[in-house]
Amino acid sequence: MLIPRKVKHRKQHSPSRKGAAKGGTRVSFGEFGIQALEPAYVTNRQIESARIAITRHIRRGGKVWINIFPDRPLTKKPAETRMGSGKGSPEYWVANVKPGRVLFEMSFPNEAVAREALRRAIHKLPMKCRIVTREGGEF
Amino acid sequence: MSEVRLAAEPRTEFGKGAARRTRRAGKIPAVLYGHGSDPKHLALPALEFARVVREHGHNAVLTLDLGDGNSELALTKTVTTHPIKNYIEHVDLLLVQRGEQVTVEVPVVVTGEPAPGTLLTQELTEVTLQAEALHIPEQVELSVAGVGAGTQIHARELSLPQGVTLVTDAEALVANVVPAPTAAQMEAEGGAAEPAEAAEAAAEA
Repeated sequence: MLIPRKVKHRKQHSPSRKGAAKGGTRVSFGEFGIQALEPAYVTNRQIESARIAITRHIRRGGKVWINIFPDRPLTKKPAETRMGSGKGSPEYWVANVKPGRVLFEMSFPNEAVAREALRRAIHKLPMKCRIVTREGGEF
Repeated sequence: MSEVRLAAEPRTEFGKGAARRTRRAGKIPAVLYGHGSDPKHLALPALEFARVVREHGHNAVLTLDLGDGNSELALTKTVTTHPIKNYIEHVDLLLVQRGEQVTVEVPVVVTGEPAPGTLLTQELTEVTLQAEALHIPEQVELSVAGVGAGTQIHARELSLPQGVTLVTDAEALVANVVPAPTAAQMEAEGGAAEPAEAAEAAAEA
């Protein structure tokens, strides 16, 4: 699972969920990609789950790129704890995804299989997404 | 590349409010600059400009009718699009002169299928070329039909039209044909699970 090797501060403020993606909005490595349509915190477990969904469907002969990295820690207080006594302990590692961001990219010779693999991966993600192609989306 | 004629109107009001009003009116805010002249703020017809980009690519050379009887030759330098809705938000146009050499990014289009059991990875999707402003190639074609595993195609091997020179590093890798990864390789690629202690250590560092 993806996790930062070293962090400067182990507890951070929650990342801002406002605005749209400033970069990484086009398919630049593979031929097909998954683009986020809503803001979301994508955890490292969700990223791994989506990656496994893609690789298990295409089995062999393709390549997958993960364009996001879960570098922001989210904390959580234990269950049945009274309020106060400081901030909870780190619980999740998330990628702060904004609308328009391309999360995954893949290359595969058969377009129908690639689209099905990405559709399965989208079901593992916490927000609305769409499949985009490198050539597609030209106005 | 053919030359396209487009009517442009000068813009007198600026800022995001004015830009949004321009877009609502079916136009695209644009700016025209180059050759040391003062920048001119223009509005282009949205549908017609989108058609030009679709048909002639991002390096379309436009003849702009500026309304007061003047016309200017301009090259599309940057097209800013909305990340989700995919409409053109703004255009930067660069003044050019006939016969002038310009440096542009031209897409590399791969044609054909490599040999079975291989995977093609395109490392460069665009190459930088120097060409005469009115003869910019729309794309550079690269045929990989029947190419076997282990083949690497570099920028110097691209076939360019006459009068066009390569600006990108000649040794830059454009396409790489590798043996198709097996299921085990794909599973292992990103799936090496980190031990739980690593996560703890990262959080406590």
